[in-house]
Amino acid sequence: MRLLFTISLRNLFRQKRRNILLGIAIAVGVMILVVARSFSAGITDILFNKIVVRVAGHISVAFNEEGKLYRTIFRDRERILTMVKNNLHDVREIEEALGIFNRVIGNGKSDNSILVGIDLSQNLSDETRKEIEESFRMLTGDFTDLGKEGLENPVILSEEKAKYLRVGKGDTLRIRFTNVYGNNETARLNVAGIVKNDNIFMQSVIFSELKNVKRLMGFKEYEVANLNITINNPTKNAVPMADKLHSVLKPGLAVISGKIRFGNTEKDAAVLGLNSDETSQKLIGSHFEIVEGNKDKIFSKDSILMSKDLAEKIKIRSGDKFELIYKNKFEDRHTVLPYRVTAIFSEKSMEGKDILLMNDEKFYRAYYANLPEANANAYIPEKDNPLYPVFATEWILLDRTSTTEEFQKKLRDISNKKWKGATVDVRTMYEIASDILKLENVLNIITLSAVLILFFIILIGVINTLRMTIKERTREIGTIRSIGMQKRDVRNTFLLESLFLGLFASIAGILMAFGAIHLLSKLTFELKDNPLSILLVNGHLYFMPTIADIISILMLILCIVAATAYFPARAAANLSPSSALRYHD
Amino acid sequence: MFKKSFTLALALALALTLTFALALHAETPAISDILKKLEEIMEITSDISSKVVLTQNKIEQGVKIIEMIYFRRDLDDSFLIVITAPEAEKGNGYLRVGGNFWMYRRNTRTFQHINRDESIGGTDAKADDFEKRKITELYAGTADNKGKEIINEEMLGKIPVYKFEVKAIVHDVDYPKKVYWVKKDDYLPLKEQSYSLSGTLMQTAYFLNYTQINSKYVAVKHIYIDEFEKGNKTIVEISNISTNKLDDKIFTKAYLENLSK
Repeated sequence: MRLLFTISLRNLFRQKRRNILLGIAIAVGVMILVVARSFSAGITDILFNKIVVRVAGHISVAFNEEGKLYRTIFRDRERILTMVKNNLHDVREIEEALGIFNRVIGNGKSDNSILVGIDLSQNLSDETRKEIEESFRMLTGDFTDLGKEGLENPVILSEEKAKYLRVGKGDTLRIRFTNVYGNNETARLNVAGIVKNDNIFMQSVIFSELKNVKRLMGFKEYEVANLNITINNPTKNAVPMADKLHSVLKPGLAVISGKIRFGNTEKDAAVLGLNSDETSQKLIGSHFEIVEGNKDKIFSKDSILMSKDLAEKIKIRSGDKFELIYKNKFEDRHTVLPYRVTAIFSEKSMEGKDILLMNDEKFYRAYYANLPEANANAYIPEKDNPLYPVFATEWILLDRTSTTEEFQKKLRDISNKKWKGATVDVRTMYEIASDILKLENVLNIITLSAVLILFFIILIGVINTLRMTIKERTREIGTIRSIGMQKRDVRNTFLLESLFLGLFASIAGILMAFGAIHLLSKLTFELKDNPLSILLVNGHLYFMPTIADIISILMLILCIVAATAYFPARAAANLSPSSALRYHD
Repeated sequence: MFKKSFTLALALALALTLTFALALHAETPAISDILKKLEEIMEITSDISSKVVLTQNKIEQGVKIIEMIYFRRDLDDSFLIVITAPEAEKGNGYLRVGGNFWMYRRNTRTFQHINRDESIGGTDAKADDFEKRKITELYAGTADNKGKEIINEEMLGKIPVYKFEVKAIVHDVDYPKKVYWVKKDDYLPLKEQSYSLSGTLMQTAYFLNYTQINSKYVAVKHIYIDEFEKGNKTIVEISNISTNKLDDKIFTKAYLENLSK
């Protein structure tokens, strides 16, 4: 074998000019391939880890109440975060995504902007901190100023926005916006810093501390806005992890465990919501017996149905007013709500139980306004109860979607179907940020095209070179075959010669690629108002060569060389020694 | 003698003041009654069509005039809006039927599903604004610390009015607090101030002209002054009002497409 290596290397240097020319062609091709692949990987990194993550997260959990797209609220922050943390592993960060579209007034100028909350209390990874510092270069102030005590709503805004609004550090801005309930609201913001950012889409963003943004939006500290989840290896894990999260977010029945007060009598009772869709109404109609009250009103918006047992215990009649009192889960206080009994009912599976049933709209209003404290002893219908589907659940979990079209239809449904309960939706970047991800596909196609071009360069070059070499060395092949060299060894000599050529040229190409990357990274692009600026890092092209990519490119080149050299090498090996010796050019 | 006369005069004055105050108090209606009356005289319970002109004056964008034709079916609160001016937006329209709300673009001849919260023709008007919601279901009179309703009688220019404050009784209203100036004689609102949740005056509306249709009043000219971004204002003028029954074919995509040609 060592002899074959020696012969192959010696042969490689016999036709220097031809091999150097072919080697240069392969090296240039490899260089283009490495640069293109590094650029594509850089863009992918920007898209996945700098843009998509900030826009939508690799996975996101979105909430809506009353079918209003602006009401992105979930009433129990701790519970949802625990569910996410306990069931998803390999998570890098979970952050609350809260942005307020607003009209901002500076010094005599006004503009539209987005107030985005940054969670300063979160322990950011070094990688994220570095990325933020690279993307947002502070001109005055510091990001930690957002948490400054004694300053009303400190904010940081872009250089462009500050110039337009004619404000500097220490100035005051006024904003008008709509809070999470749809109310018009105003606020004063204090400019704590100005930042430089090349991303055109970030220039209209004003940053504030998350807790300030939440307060302005009308959130209480135990409530949460949409969650953006950043994970490791998003292209592989986003969908399966989202599916897993979806499966664990299935809601149970919503129940308010409280007391019914009628006159001086108080009695513990379980309050459940009744879904108002047609199927539920049919089921209720066929199972419930209305023993007193107006049957026509049992499906009305204000409907309150009381179980016969409870009504008898507190001696209440239909039409009577009563109070529902329950302890809140948060804020250590009780909620007292006045209601009127619409009808008294009897139902087999609920016999002996003290139950109050409410129309879902009315129920959810009370339930979400002040979440009730959980009571392990409260009556909750079993899952095998045929009436189970008619009761309101804690939230409505929307189906998973896989395409942008399905996702958009789901968004329309949220608005149009006017679900009474809060909807919870688990999404991935593949549904939300598909347009951004399509850009990655385009870049992959460009890389593939480079590979194909390179393949043809090598194919034509290697085949041509080998054919000429074989022709020139036909008599030599005859000689070495005559003195006992086996066919296989002749074939391997030519193969090794080509592989050495491919290997040396590829190494040279890779080195040239690093040189080219270094030079290209030095170029500065001024794309201030150009959307393409999102593909730059600090005004420079961003390349991300990886060892895995370089090894795979090297292996690819060697495979192509071996494949293209195999057939001419085999043809040379198959030459008859006597005919080869007789050969004259 | 003087002392006696003075005491008598004082008692008389006090009695008169008290009587006047009581009479005044007796005459001042409750805010809830005014709101009900206002609703009663202004709520149109029939189909309606009209021409609407919005003149939007923004300091940084200048004047933008948008003309549109508006159809509303009372039965299910469906509506159709077709923009007739300016030229750049002519033919664009909005159609809402049941839970579906579409925006039509004449240039591309496409219908696009949009949200109820989106603006109409790039103005401050939203689809929500064209939905019928009763004021008494949204607001109730505000009371002071003693539980007395905040309502006064005063003059708005030369017109005697009731001035009163209402606050939202539901979460999802644009403005959680409003102050109304309502004519004493016929309860028509002349002025309305809207406040943000934190109490900032956001908008003042003046209802300049009313017309009577089937014994109901419609404000045909109103001005909305932006109090937050000073200098911005929108004038709404409504004309060609008809309450004739509208054909169901009006509330279809085909009709909107045809109207846009």
